Amino acid sequence: MQGKIIVVTSGKGGVGKTTATSSIGAALALEGNRVAIVDMDIGLRNLDVVMGLENRIVFNIVDVVQDRCKVEQAAIRDRRIENLFLIPASQSDNKDVLTTAGVERVAKELRSRFDYIIMDSPAGIERGFENSVVAADEALVICTPDVSAVRDADRVIGLLYARSLNPKLIVNRLEPARVMRGEMLSHEDVLEVLSIDLVGLVPMDEKVLISSNTGTPLVLQNDSKAGAAFRQIARRLNGEDVTIEMPVYKTSMWQKISKTFGLK
Amino acid sequence: MLSGLLKRFIGRKSSKDAAKKRLQFSLIYDKLEVNDTTLTDLQQDIVDVISKYFEIDKDALELKVKRDDNVSALVFNTPILHVKRKRV
Repeated sequence: MQGKIIVVTSGKGGVGKTTATSSIGAALALEGNRVAIVDMDIGLRNLDVVMGLENRIVFNIVDVVQDRCKVEQAAIRDRRIENLFLIPASQSDNKDVLTTAGVERVAKELRSRFDYIIMDSPAGIERGFENSVVAADEALVICTPDVSAVRDADRVIGLLYARSLNPKLIVNRLEPARVMRGEMLSHEDVLEVLSIDLVGLVPMDEKVLISSNTGTPLVLQNDSKAGAAFRQIARRLNGEDVTIEMPVYKTSMWQKISKTFGLK
Repeated sequence: MLSGLLKRFIGRKSSKDAAKKRLQFSLIYDKLEVNDTTLTDLQQDIVDVISKYFEIDKDALELKVKRDDNVSALVFNTPILHVKRKRV
């Protein structure tokens, strides 16, 4: 069986791509898949620290693409989650050292060794993005409910369509209370603007920072709402039919009263 | 709490509505790669031409860009109120 390559992109930086990649990868491994997470952000690697594997790096993805080592030498095994591996980015090179042809060759090998390969694309739409999407079978676009993230997501969606990929959307960092107050775009608004399929909604969660502080997987924390959302996304990607839970938009008593009297 | 009521009295719209509207417009401009005035001018010209033949609801018309895999289509939607009588 050939594995599937899923690229995680956003266009804009800082919307939670790295957290999403590591969490979805970890969750897919918990579902019983053999998973490799590949950090494609050459020169600015981060997945290793977020996943708590920074002390165990020997080789990286540039070494693999340039044939200086084998895939299994560069893939760091996670000791907490079975069948989860990280192939880190190189910190000293720049994005131009990789070629699309080189990435495609390695992709072929990764597909034969893993069920899922999750590629964390760098922010932007330049060379690093090209390298991340060139071998992808599926694409996920992450965006937060703000104007700059949505606009960049739209641009990236266009570029993915041009490569015959049909991206699915994750709306990250939703704050139901602010959506209720009309201060934040709801996921419906974002979907209407971008008109693509949704694969999951992730609420704002303070646990994300805490788990990255310690380098522990978010999906292993039972009380993390974001972690639970990423686990659901993984199950959907894995082919399960899991309904997308809407974030709870709490209505206060005043809102109920004013609604009853037709004031809203 | 009473934001709905307050908004009603002050008549202020929520900021997210502004965000959505601005986004929708900027995405259209991004895709057409034309500026604001070009699009407004285009809309005005289309209205002028159609108005020669039909009476249309100018407030309800919408200009949209539909995106497919590799084509973008300009869709102009307007309710027709009356057909104007042709004068010979």
